[in-house]
Amino acid sequence: MLRRAVLQTFRQGLAQSFFKRYAVSLTETTVTHQPIETSNEAGERSVPTQKTGDESRNTVVVAPPEFRFMYPEFLPDPAMETRNRLREKLERMDMLQRRSVIEIPEFYTGSIMAVTVADANSPNKFARFVGICIQRGGSGLRAWFILRNVVDKQGVEILYEMYCPLIQKIEVLRLERRLDESLLYLRDALPEYSTFPLDMEPERRLNNSVVPINPLKVKLRPRPWLERWERQNLQGVEDLNLPQRFYDKAEKVAKPWEKYDLMLHYRKTIPAEEQEKIFAEIHSQLQQQELKRKLRRRRGPDNEQ
Amino acid sequence: MVFHKRRWLVRRLFFNHEQIRTMSRVKRRTTHPPYWHVLKNNQREDEKISSDNLRFVREVIQDKYKNKSPIKGSDLDIEKTVWDPKTKRSGVIARNIGVQHMWEKDGKKVICTVLHVLDNHVVRYVPPEEYAKSVIGTKMFKNRKPLGCLVVGAEAANPDRFTRQYCSLFDEVGLLPKKRLARFIVTPNAALPPCTPLTAGHFVIGQAVDVYGKTIDYGFQGVVKRWGFKGGPASHGATKFHRRGGTIGTGRDKARVWPGQKMPGHMGSERRFNRGLKIVRINMKYNIIYVKGTVPGPTNSIVQIFDTILPRRRFTEAPPHPTYFPPEDGTLPQEDIWDSSLHVFGSPSISV
Repeated sequence: MLRRAVLQTFRQGLAQSFFKRYAVSLTETTVTHQPIETSNEAGERSVPTQKTGDESRNTVVVAPPEFRFMYPEFLPDPAMETRNRLREKLERMDMLQRRSVIEIPEFYTGSIMAVTVADANSPNKFARFVGICIQRGGSGLRAWFILRNVVDKQGVEILYEMYCPLIQKIEVLRLERRLDESLLYLRDALPEYSTFPLDMEPERRLNNSVVPINPLKVKLRPRPWLERWERQNLQGVEDLNLPQRFYDKAEKVAKPWEKYDLMLHYRKTIPAEEQEKIFAEIHSQLQQQELKRKLRRRRGPDNEQ
Repeated sequence: MVFHKRRWLVRRLFFNHEQIRTMSRVKRRTTHPPYWHVLKNNQREDEKISSDNLRFVREVIQDKYKNKSPIKGSDLDIEKTVWDPKTKRSGVIARNIGVQHMWEKDGKKVICTVLHVLDNHVVRYVPPEEYAKSVIGTKMFKNRKPLGCLVVGAEAANPDRFTRQYCSLFDEVGLLPKKRLARFIVTPNAALPPCTPLTAGHFVIGQAVDVYGKTIDYGFQGVVKRWGFKGGPASHGATKFHRRGGTIGTGRDKARVWPGQKMPGHMGSERRFNRGLKIVRINMKYNIIYVKGTVPGPTNSIVQIFDTILPRRRFTEAPPHPTYFPPEDGTLPQEDIWDSSLHVFGSPSISV
């Protein structure tokens, strides 16, 4: 049920770690303080037992709260009609199995990625596409993301299913976030904002513990647009310069009370306690996989077979 | 479906090209169980029992069922019967726990329904002669050779919530009363003794099954959703005619509304079979079957799984007959069995 106190503290904890991790913008000159390093390893929390007079302590391994943003597809679909704990657990086991074969890196909307897919119709049987992630969604094995690029003046978007076995490799060329969760407005933006070189090299990150937020404000083409962007509270778009009647209608149609609707948000998310349980379950396996990959990288391509 | 030759002839002679009339006078669903069923659920008022007495009641229940626990299949004396292509094996009660997407070896995505085989135990076997005399048996075997009936129960529950008459159905066998009961028509050579457990191993990878369930209950629905009518135009001056049925009969011959006229009404919650679904994966540890395709009913609903009756997908080789029993030497079976057409998640990525 809605354990508000726990929810609040969890949220505060999340917010703190979130801001520690993501609040650094790209412009390094404006940064005056050093971001606090968050630990990527498991936070070992000591939970004192309830028994009175018993001084023994149980250590409970808890996954770091960043997991909620790094691996959002492990959380099930919140719709109660289709939820089943056993099936979700089996699905998570299958997801970890797939992750043991291929590295599915941490990425966010706004990151530039390259995906290599087995394609029967390609000359060398593999097709590689580079693009910016404009949206990601789905839960479990159905998790997907959309990459967008402009190739020969033609905008191209490809939806990839993250756990599809045809995918050979997923690389994150530039790991960053944007000011919005969904960058669908790039379809109506000037093409230079969606163009990325297909032979782009992976960029090295300066600070590994912080994912930078790119505060870029995108310029849109003149109307007509695919959606009514003025109604969507977009942060990453320049001033739309529309006549006042558009903004008036947007105000009329807006639902400002939704941000106060606790039950609506409760129904759209998985409760904090359950999230902790889920990530604690998968945490150790993900850590092991990460360690194996690091060892493989350290040994170099000679030992790789 | 009752098949009367005369009615068929009449229908073909007076064939109505506008609509096919189904047997509208037959009641499609009931909300009450048949009259020969015993009252199942205990309708108790809030009994104010002290916690000590409650604990005592629980101890009594445990003592009653402790010594007569369901025994493993290998300890039961099962007749060594032989399988033949005309054998009808028992089915299994399962819960539809949702849908999972898997991929075949060529990269094609496949929607698989996940069925969790509950703790099935055989409650009773009714031999063919006896079953042919029952209410349903007389209807079923009117002009056919009678078959036996296996009563299988699933999902053991606290006896407190059931009536004494319902619990007595399981008392002779020594089982905890089950929430769900089902009857499976079997040939005598596939009979099983009471207390036999039925698990996911009862089925074979790659076999086709029929899944019976009750479809999703949509409630009272209009003609567009219920019968697929096109309704009316959304604009162009249509006055209050967007999702209505329109005309319900002609003025001329038989100037009345025909029985079976498609109209709004209750939709869903009907018994349906989805036949010929292929089993692509079995998880023996959790008793899970993955079936290619979808089954009737919403998530978390109970379904029954049978070997298929479709002639081209029936068994050619003997399946675990009469049911699967774990090996006597104690070796555990393979936990996760996959069909050869599916891509196993731990194996390398597919290269075309």
